[in-house]
Amino acid sequence: MTVASQVKQSLASLKSIHATFQQFALSSADEQAQRTFHEAMMLTEEIIVDVKQRISQLEREEPQYHGK
Amino acid sequence: MPIWLEAAIRSVSILIGLFVITRILGKKQLSKLSFFEYIVGITVGDIAGTMSTDLDINLQEGITSILIWSLFPVLISHISLRNKKFRDFVEGNSTVFIKNGKVLEENLKQEKYTIDELMEQLRKKDVFRVADVEFAVLEPNGDLNVLLKREKQPLAVGDVFPNPPSEKEPQTVVMDGKILDEPLATAGLSRGWLKAELDKQGVAIENVFLAQVDSYGQLTVDLYDDKIQAQQPQDKEFLLAAIKKVQADFELFALETQSEEAKQMYEKNAKKLNDLLGRVAPLLKN
Repeated sequence: MTVASQVKQSLASLKSIHATFQQFALSSADEQAQRTFHEAMMLTEEIIVDVKQRISQLEREEPQYHGK
Repeated sequence: MPIWLEAAIRSVSILIGLFVITRILGKKQLSKLSFFEYIVGITVGDIAGTMSTDLDINLQEGITSILIWSLFPVLISHISLRNKKFRDFVEGNSTVFIKNGKVLEENLKQEKYTIDELMEQLRKKDVFRVADVEFAVLEPNGDLNVLLKREKQPLAVGDVFPNPPSEKEPQTVVMDGKILDEPLATAGLSRGWLKAELDKQGVAIENVFLAQVDSYGQLTVDLYDDKIQAQQPQDKEFLLAAIKKVQADFELFALETQSEEAKQMYEKNAKKLNDLLGRVAPLLKN
C-alpha cells in the first residue's frame, strides 16, 4: 500500500467519524452532549481539511497515485 | 327488600365509599404508614366490614364513624403541612445516633435502642464496621439512614470523569409489538426513523416485543423470537475505535514522512484527536 492510499484510508475513516458525530449530535437528548458532539464534529472537520491538503500534496509529488 | 339484597347494596356502596376515601388519603399515607395511620386503616376497614354484614347497625351511625375515622388523618396532615411545630409533634423528630463518626449513647438510650439493634440496622445497610460511618440518623418512621465516611463511599461516575454527561431516561417506543407514538415524540423521533433503525438491525416490527431508545438515540430491542440474536447498537464502540485508529495512523505517518511540514501537521492532528478522545470518551462509554 502506498503512502497516498494509506492517507486516503485515514481520510475515509475521518469522514465516517465526522458523520457519526453529526448523527449523535442530532439524536442526543441532552444539551451538553449535543454540544460536545457538535464540537467534536467541527474538530474532525478541521482535521479533514488538513488531511485533504496533504493528499493533494502527495498527489502532486507522485502523480502516478492520482485519483487512486 | 330481601336481606341479601340489602347486604349487597350496603357492601357495594361501602366499597365505593372506601375507594373514594383511600383516594383522598393519598399516596403519602401508603409509603409512610405511621403507627397511628396503621390503626386508623384497620379501624376503618373493621367498621366497613361490620356495616356491610350486620344489618342491625344503623347506616347513619356507621357512616358518621367511618367519616370521622378517615377524615381525622386528612385534617392532621393538612395542619402539619402548614405548621412545623405541629408536624414535629405529630410525626416526631429524627434522632441522630452517630455524629462525626462517634456513637451518641445518650440518644440511643433516649430511643431505647441497644447497640446490638443499632449494629443490626447498620448491617442492613451493608455497613459492618461502625468506624466507617460518619453520620447515622433514626428517622421518625423507624428507618436508620447512614452517611458513610468520604473514603468509604462507593465510587461514582463523577469521581472518574469530572464533568459526566447527564443521561435522560430511556423511552419505551415499542411495547407488545405496538408502536407508542407519545414516547417516540418525546424522544424527538418519528415512525419513519424507527422503521429505518429496525431495518438497520434486520428485524421486523411484528417481531419486536419491546424497544427502547436511550438519550443518545440508540435503539435496543427485545424480540418475541428468542432464537434470533438481536444486534445491539455498537455505534459508540465503532466510533471510539475509529478515532483511536486514525490517531495511531497519524502518529505513524508523522514518523514515516520525510517532509517536516507534513510531520508537524500529523503530530498536531494526532494531538487534537487525543484531546477529542478524552472529551468524548465519557459520552461513548456505555
